[in-house]
Amino acid sequence: MIMDTQSASLLTASSLIIIGIFGTVFLDNLIKKVIALGFVGDGANLFLIAMGYKAGGIVYIFMPGMSRDWFAQNASYPLPFALVLTSIVIGASTMAVMLGIIIVLYKRHGSISASKLLGDGNNGK
Amino acid sequence: MSLHPANLLIPLMVIIPLTCALLLNVLHGKDRTVKIISVVVALALPVLPLLAGYGTQYFGGYVPLAQNSAIASGLPTSITGSALSLFHPAITYFFGSGQKLMLFILGVVALFSIFASLYEVKRPSGVYTYLLFMLAASIAALILTDDIFNLYVFFEIAALTQVGIILVSRVKGNYETALKYMILGGIASPMLLIGIALLLGVTGNVNITDIAYSIKTGLVNPNSSVLLMACGLITFGWLYGAGLPPFHSIKSAVYSKALPNGAAMLQAFSVFMFVALGIIILRIFGYLPFTKVFIIGISLLAMVLSITMAITQTDFKRIIAYLAVGELGYIGIGLGLGTVAGITAGLFQAVNEVVITAFLFLGFGTVLYKTRQSDIRKLGGMMFESPKSAFLVLLAGFAMAGVPPLNAFQSKLMLIQATLKAGIPELGVIMILLSIVTFMTFMKAFYAIYLRSKPKDLKILEKKIPRVTMVAMVAFLVICITFGVFPQLAIGYLQPLAAGLV
Repeated sequence: MIMDTQSASLLTASSLIIIGIFGTVFLDNLIKKVIALGFVGDGANLFLIAMGYKAGGIVYIFMPGMSRDWFAQNASYPLPFALVLTSIVIGASTMAVMLGIIIVLYKRHGSISASKLLGDGNNGK
Repeated sequence: MSLHPANLLIPLMVIIPLTCALLLNVLHGKDRTVKIISVVVALALPVLPLLAGYGTQYFGGYVPLAQNSAIASGLPTSITGSALSLFHPAITYFFGSGQKLMLFILGVVALFSIFASLYEVKRPSGVYTYLLFMLAASIAALILTDDIFNLYVFFEIAALTQVGIILVSRVKGNYETALKYMILGGIASPMLLIGIALLLGVTGNVNITDIAYSIKTGLVNPNSSVLLMACGLITFGWLYGAGLPPFHSIKSAVYSKALPNGAAMLQAFSVFMFVALGIIILRIFGYLPFTKVFIIGISLLAMVLSITMAITQTDFKRIIAYLAVGELGYIGIGLGLGTVAGITAGLFQAVNEVVITAFLFLGFGTVLYKTRQSDIRKLGGMMFESPKSAFLVLLAGFAMAGVPPLNAFQSKLMLIQATLKAGIPELGVIMILLSIVTFMTFMKAFYAIYLRSKPKDLKILEKKIPRVTMVAMVAFLVICITFGVFPQLAIGYLQPLAAGLV
């Protein structure tokens, strides 16, 4: 194997974040900007979930017949999985609000260009 | 889990405004019912912290294993015999004397902001009141929580609520500002989350006390590069949340696009976010040699940039907004000094700033209410239109600049004394100079709005200022004078919190 699952996850997360930041900074289309921000958020979530990975570990469900000692030594860490669910909900809400604002701005100005709507000469400054 | 009734009030400080917000959301159109519920719950906000007893709230009753022999007895010794038995297994809220004072002040500001909104907004059953309660609940959670992920969740809720408050204000350019703020937040918030994830990865914990314990006792390598990266990322989230440079400009734009009573709550969020995350940074990363230097440096930058930018503004909401961001610098210098005297002074300044800035927003808000105008070039002669309000605004400005016997005089004096004790008198000199500039900037706006002759085309659209707004301003003045004459009243509450951080 070239790299283990955790390293691959962390590398993918880093790539998503870098691509996302690049898109947010350099893309002018507001919808594309929001998609790029989604990349950043997804990268952060993947990063968080990768923290709970345990090489060769099992899912953290205590089944009949398992000894407590064995379960404690082999189960993956459940906390990041619980946290990432909350984070996904927050990300979805934030994205929904951003898209809602873009729809209003499009109806008002007939454009979704960031430089036109959010540029220095605009009131939103 | 403590079942003392006074301790049960600790989570209620978050749950009550949160439930009220959700309830108001389903009462759309029923103005009278919304007004009654809002008044009752808003009155409870400053009262709850006064009634609550000091202590720790373990959600779900999950106390550390060391305190729960029933569960610990059945577990392997690899868990019960290690530091794991001391760790907090669930979300924990801590309520001490410092939190009591901060939550009381938050309650007072929220009470008057909600009251003012009920009488100034045409439809109280709209989403605005809901948003104010939601923001009050989120700020209370930020102050109480001992769990860094819980802090992140409420920070995100508060950020979304801020955007909602801007969107409903109908101020020109509000949608653009809200979107800009969200785009910046779309990068800064994941950075904060990754910082938290790194801390989780290194220490296996999200409880702040446990993380600090792990680092202090050497359970994890304190010089680990991962911890340094976590420190950088969490600090980046802190800069965004509090509106420090490079986010000072967007933060002041956010304040200026909100209604004055909403802006009063928004600045309370920024100040308490600044304090809450600042304290966390000190608790977890205070051992790093550059942490305190960085806090002082960024605070100085915030003060200089924001106060100098305030001078050039022509919109009075923007002037107060920049001054409010600049005042954060004073708090930061107190925290950055890292001494008991410095941190106490910084926390005292934070409490004072929340009151004074809310006072100024509501005070100048009366001008906006009467004229629908916030450009100081188009205003004038308001002294003759509302002399009582003008006098109160003048006193609010004196308080912000640190004129005795008002509250910020005491906190700024304490800060200067703390810088002298710490052997950095230069900081004291800079703070005095910037206080003078703050006063000049305020007087420029005050002269333009109140003392200059009234422009012919300025129309007075509302004759009377709502009584509740005047009552709110008088209440804020009473707090300013009380803390100015009897600073020990506040310091007595804040000193134990500061002493615990050193």
